Amino acid sequence: MNLLTPERYITTTDGDPAGKPDVRFLTWFFPVWYAVFGVIICVLTRVTPPPRPDVTTAGTVAFFTEHHLTIQIGFVLLLILLGGAPLTNGLVLYHMKRMSVGSVFGYGYIAAMSVGALPGFLLVGVCYLTATFRPDRDPELIGWLYDLGNLSYNGSLGCFTTAYVVLAIAVLYDKNGVFPKWFGYVTVWQVITEVIATQFFLFYSGPLAWNGVLSLWWAVVVFSVWLGALIFVLRAATIGEPVDSPGLD
Amino acid sequence: MLQRDAPTTTETRVPGDGHIWVMVLGDLLIFTGYFIIFMVFRTMNPADFLAAQQHLNVNIGVINTVVLLTSSWFVARSVLAARAGNHRSAVRFVYSGAGGGVLFIVLKSYEWAVKISAGHTNSDLFFSLYYVITGVHLVHVVIGLIALGVVVRELNNPGRRRLMVVESAAMYWHMVDLLWVIIFGLLYVMR
Repeated sequence: MNLLTPERYITTTDGDPAGKPDVRFLTWFFPVWYAVFGVIICVLTRVTPPPRPDVTTAGTVAFFTEHHLTIQIGFVLLLILLGGAPLTNGLVLYHMKRMSVGSVFGYGYIAAMSVGALPGFLLVGVCYLTATFRPDRDPELIGWLYDLGNLSYNGSLGCFTTAYVVLAIAVLYDKNGVFPKWFGYVTVWQVITEVIATQFFLFYSGPLAWNGVLSLWWAVVVFSVWLGALIFVLRAATIGEPVDSPGLD
Repeated sequence: MLQRDAPTTTETRVPGDGHIWVMVLGDLLIFTGYFIIFMVFRTMNPADFLAAQQHLNVNIGVINTVVLLTSSWFVARSVLAARAGNHRSAVRFVYSGAGGGVLFIVLKSYEWAVKISAGHTNSDLFFSLYYVITGVHLVHVVIGLIALGVVVRELNNPGRRRLMVVESAAMYWHMVDLLWVIIFGLLYVMR
């Protein structure tokens, strides 16, 4: 576990980090993509931090009226940015395919991330954009879009759990040591904290509502730790791969 | 204590590998967050929480505590047996420990069923936290049973038998036990 000692990094004779240049490029793309993603969802689309679940119908209409421009700009940018998700998820797939466990785990990860993206991003995008582009509709319908969008976006966190399960199993079973075992355990935390998102459907307020301290915010903290760890282990796995190793099937 | 008793270990070292320590310490931190959140909401609604707590069955809680502590003892014995090279008896101890885990799940399921049929659903704030916290703990017990299964697989195969795996699973199992003791204290006993 000497994570920070220099000898863990294999360097070329020039002293540069080793690893394939295109894969190394993706390890830089990965955190940049998530940084832009974070700015869009937190500042523009207004889905995180989530708006209150316990507002009246008039409150939901006021929310969309007040933020309609940033929501529209935010989701347009998000739809463009999501084109880069195959690259970030593909980088994880690339390293999962280098593991001894076989490609099926990698494809399982991609499939689960893809399924999660439907309720997790596209449905909330459709709900928010419809609500802001059709403000003349019945306020009850606007309120319904508000609930559907937020329940879909936050409540679908459990969909990504499948991806975390296959990733954790792959890391823990892998004999090639592509990712460290501790990262497999950290991924298990992700599985458990995100399953609690199922509670969002039941509560309008309190610790287990969709803006609840236990169900959402503590899970966000764990997710941030997990994502930071993923960026770190992706970089370590990339520079640990011999430059002259054959390409993957 | 375990190391002093171990005949095959001469040097002093920390049991398990660094990876499982990340898991155990981090998981304890996550649960600490749940406990703090529980305490904050309890402090905000002391009367409601105290009234709802009266409906919990302390007897089942005590039995489950004893079951898990006994189970942890079996698993600790299995580590000692594995260190001594007694793989057959180590496997027997692991099975006994896992039996405790299964019994815990059965008792907890019974307890949940009784509470739900008596109308103590998660519409009450105390019980909503009770179901989530004990539910997350129950998932940890299931993961622990899988880990013990991995240990059995290791010990039954003469080509494997890595002591590190046995110790790591035992550490995790003790953590599950420790968490239950805290949950029992916070949810069932604290007045």
